[in-house]
Amino acid sequence: MTQIAVRPTNATPWKNRNRKNVALIAIASVAPSLIAVIVRFLLELPGAVTLLLIFLPLQLLFSALAALILRGKRGIADAFLNVGVIFSTVAISILLGSVLFSVISWGLKALSPHFLYQNSVYITPTTSLEYGGVGHAILGSLIVVGLVTLATVPIGIGVAVYLTETDGRFRGPVRFFSQAMSGLPSVVAGLFIYTVFIASGLVKPVGWLGAASLLLLMLPTIARMSEEVLKLVPGELRAAALALGAPRRRAFFQVILPAAKTGLITAVLLGLARVFGETAPLILTTNISNETNINPTSDGMTTLTTYIYSFLGAGYDTSRQRAWGAALVLLVVIGILFTLARIFGSREVGKK
Amino acid sequence: MTTTIEGSMEMTTQVETKRLRTLDEQYHLEARDINVWFKERHVLSDVSLKFPTNSVTALIGPSGCGKSSFIRTLNRMHELIPGAGLAGEIYLDGKNIYDADIDPVSVRLKIGMVFQKPNPFPTMTIKGNVLAGLRLSNRRTRDENELVEKCLTRASIWNEVKDRLDAPAGSLSGGQQQRLCIARSLALAPDVLLMDEPCSALDPGSTRRIEETIRELSSDMTVVIVTHNMQQAQRVSDQTAFFLAEENQPGYVVEFGNTEALFSSPNDPRTEDYVNGRFG
Repeated sequence: MTQIAVRPTNATPWKNRNRKNVALIAIASVAPSLIAVIVRFLLELPGAVTLLLIFLPLQLLFSALAALILRGKRGIADAFLNVGVIFSTVAISILLGSVLFSVISWGLKALSPHFLYQNSVYITPTTSLEYGGVGHAILGSLIVVGLVTLATVPIGIGVAVYLTETDGRFRGPVRFFSQAMSGLPSVVAGLFIYTVFIASGLVKPVGWLGAASLLLLMLPTIARMSEEVLKLVPGELRAAALALGAPRRRAFFQVILPAAKTGLITAVLLGLARVFGETAPLILTTNISNETNINPTSDGMTTLTTYIYSFLGAGYDTSRQRAWGAALVLLVVIGILFTLARIFGSREVGKK
Repeated sequence: MTTTIEGSMEMTTQVETKRLRTLDEQYHLEARDINVWFKERHVLSDVSLKFPTNSVTALIGPSGCGKSSFIRTLNRMHELIPGAGLAGEIYLDGKNIYDADIDPVSVRLKIGMVFQKPNPFPTMTIKGNVLAGLRLSNRRTRDENELVEKCLTRASIWNEVKDRLDAPAGSLSGGQQQRLCIARSLALAPDVLLMDEPCSALDPGSTRRIEETIRELSSDMTVVIVTHNMQQAQRVSDQTAFFLAEENQPGYVVEFGNTEALFSSPNDPRTEDYVNGRFG
């Protein structure tokens, strides 16, 4: 018997193909695109029509034929699925990529150090980009979203714990309402807070009202997601903890919560994602202002989203640029928050 | 002389109380007329078993005859299943553990349990798993390292893990995980250890190790073990209870007694058929 000491380069026999097959696969992969490009220029069709009516059917046909020759009838369904999955992946990636590209390319033009920390006092829609920035809006966003998060994370996870870990009598209704609320349109959440607090004359529009309207959106998201996450914790762990003589409370905090931690962080992140980009409820419940205000209980408070709304609506080139800049800042702030949450959430066992 | 008579009378009463006490001590765990339901389904009927102190009792019988349900009634894990129902009494040191004034948590501290599937806490280290019972019941020990070593040694896994106590528990093999779970139960120094088919998912080597552990534990602990392995029951247990359930009928105990006698000369023909592998 020969002994192989070093791993050979071809130690993956399942990837071996013979030449004829490679040629066939190459033809099936390239030909449809080529034909589609030629047809497009001959008939001067719009791109989308070429893509959907000429390229996609051709690609499906070619792949199916190649699969039929290589693997017989069984291969056809596989080929269809492969083409479908790859096509949708590419299509979505292009959509996402183009959104990212436009935000970054337009946003960078507005970006400068002072854009990040100055506020917009004395800034009109036509003021040159050399002056003013989104500092007040970054603060406003962080304050409003921070407030919502502080309030919703304990309540939302608490609701989930009530639904999964207890045998409380009101689990049915609670689950029903959190499910129903998770479909709530954001404008309705804003209108509700507006009607109850502002239209009734109780409070003037302030930052915490914005947070309150976002709470209506974030709470059901976090509660529902956390419930699903906690349901995934194996029952054996619960049983093991209880069999060791743990009261339910300790079993939850020391065994179930650590086991569900990464999932719960995802739930919170999804909740954050839901509210960070919200605009409509904030327009209704907070006064957009140009000044820096860190007090959510008085005066107007601008967030990045309402900043974008007000400057985009002004309709001048400079104001539009400011809006793009703010959009880029929003994207980066969310990116930073999510990365931090992931880093803190994924510590391994045994490393402290 | 009168004194002698008095003295001898005193002695008799002393002897009697002593005999009574030894009887109590002899059976510090006892199940009386246990009936179990899941929703409306009656799964176990009138099971009465006495477990001698520091002995090993094997519960055998075909699948679905209520062995696992029974063992779960012994430390009040049964009631955690939705729809569970129970009638009868379990006496631990002369007190019914189902009395209204008894906290199930205190019962589970005295009666530990090892499950069929190894279930170490994946978010904790090996050491953390052994100490989990203490932390979960908010107790402390003077020397954690000593306790960890003692428990892991008794579960005969110390030599394999002593150099990686801070590794995650999930990095162990199935057999090692199960022995870790035994060590985890031992850290609470229970009076009784319940084992629900602890070796059903393990290789022969790990099984042998666990059987040795069970024999050693029985020097100061009462062990109740559910097993499908007839040889295992013969190897580890002092007494055996044979459970059986006819179709759509609740399970019951056919025969209960000394293991050797039950396997070599069973009283009931059904026991004989079962232990000789003729059904089940």
